[in-house]
Amino acid sequence: MINTSTFLCILRRSTVAGAVIAAAVVVGPASANKDPVTPKQLKLYQEAFMEEVRKGDLLFHGDAAMAEQLGVKLSTTGWACAMCHPMASDTHPHAFPKFQQSMAKFATLRDMINWCIEKPNQGEKIDPESEAMKALEAYITWSNTGSVLVPGKY
Amino acid sequence: MSDELDRIRREMHAVLQPPGVRPDDSLQITRRTFIHRSLLFGAASVGQTFAWWPLLNTIDVAHAAEAPFKFAWISDTHLYERSLNTRFVDKVVRAVQEVQAMDPPADFLIFGGDLAQLGKIEELELGVELLKDLKIKKYYIPGEHDWYLDMGKKWGELFGQPNWTFDHKGVRFIGLDTVSRGPDYWTAKKMTPEERMGHMATLDGTVAGAWAGVGRDQLDWMSKTLAEWGTDKPVVIFSHNPLYEYYPPWNFWVRDWREVNDVLKPYTKVTNIHGHVHQVLYNEIGRMRSIGMLATSWPWPYAPEGVPKLTKPMIRVDPGDPFDGVGWGKWSVSANDEVETEYIMWGRKEVFVQSPEDHDKSIPEVLRPRIADNQYPWANP
Ligand SMILES: [Fe+2]
Ligand SMILES: [Fe+2]
Repeated sequence: MINTSTFLCILRRSTVAGAVIAAAVVVGPASANKDPVTPKQLKLYQEAFMEEVRKGDLLFHGDAAMAEQLGVKLSTTGWACAMCHPMASDTHPHAFPKFQQSMAKFATLRDMINWCIEKPNQGEKIDPESEAMKALEAYITWSNTGSVLVPGKY
Repeated sequence: MSDELDRIRREMHAVLQPPGVRPDDSLQITRRTFIHRSLLFGAASVGQTFAWWPLLNTIDVAHAAEAPFKFAWISDTHLYERSLNTRFVDKVVRAVQEVQAMDPPADFLIFGGDLAQLGKIEELELGVELLKDLKIKKYYIPGEHDWYLDMGKKWGELFGQPNWTFDHKGVRFIGLDTVSRGPDYWTAKKMTPEERMGHMATLDGTVAGAWAGVGRDQLDWMSKTLAEWGTDKPVVIFSHNPLYEYYPPWNFWVRDWREVNDVLKPYTKVTNIHGHVHQVLYNEIGRMRSIGMLATSWPWPYAPEGVPKLTKPMIRVDPGDPFDGVGWGKWSVSANDEVETEYIMWGRKEVFVQSPEDHDKSIPEVLRPRIADNQYPWANP
């Protein structure tokens, strides 16, 4: 990052236009209302994300209290997502959307999550916009942080 | 974690696979079991990961058996109470019927652990009831799901001593308990038995830690058991966990694999047959060969790293078919010293991958361990 004094130092030897730009960089126009992101904000955003990861982790591992809190019934067989997908393995969020053989359609990760809830788990499909779905998606994606995008891969 | 795994794996390789040390020549896999990787995989990247694979169902082993015989394996039935889950019950019934129908019959059955899902009395008793229909001699070893509700009390009442040995037609068989010696992760955190079991029953849980191990006392028992057995005579060891290090975060190992190797080192014809992984696995550790068996309940995916190079992976499973990727296994020991291992995977003609896309690791992934089970109230005080 170039600090302001160095930046101005360079501009001093520059054109008039350059000086105008320098002024814009340093103070901004009177009407500007955007501030740089603060560490405090970043922390809040990250915490909001990790809270969903945590909820998703619990749902994914069959936690009854979290399922009740979010009003979902993901399984009636005792089976939980993590029993076929420990550490969210073989969920492949980085391959979606793709043609999904089991549903015979071009599908999103949310479609796949609902398929697993309905078929192997014999639970009740959840609203794709629900917090439970977003939390599951957050956990699965977070767990695959290091995976490289391979959209469409079988 | 990955660096740590890497380090352990390098150490394991150095300790257990010194140059030139392999299973006894008579245990060598015969030529007809090899299919060159170029015939199977077009893609070099996947081919290189699995340098060569013996076909497990045609392994020939010199076992010096006195007479031909067969035995069967069922494990990882993970029974819930019948009212909750009938699918798992159906699969045990099917396995039992098929073992019972073997012709010529199996001399005995090994039940390789994880009979119950949550260690409940009802679950264990349901298992006994379902296996009652099988009339041959049965031997049981425990899995972690059987044990951590009441610390093996009910299991012991039903099946007795968890480790045992017997000789059969010139082969020494040993059953090990690799589950009961876990670290105490519950007392300090004041867990109920159900909470203790819940953590143990989660494969990718982070609370129960490195629970799989043989233990010094049992290692000593095993050395004593083998002491008067000739070092060139066949030994088959059954364990719930693999006796080497494959993927510690899921306890796909025993933590004291070094000590196990020390005890077994002098013996040249050792075969380990294990459950817990719910998948086809093959490895050679020093002179021991190791074979991983299918569950009847559900298949685990291969771990994101550490699959032994000698494993020819099983086929990627159809998640919509409860009978896919699961089943049981049988062995035929012939008088001319051959052992044939056969995976019975229901509904599959081909148990093994035929192309890179058949493999569940065809989509590369990098995973991180879960977090929610290690937070309040379970975080370390
Ligand atoms: Fe199991
Ligand atoms: Fe297990």
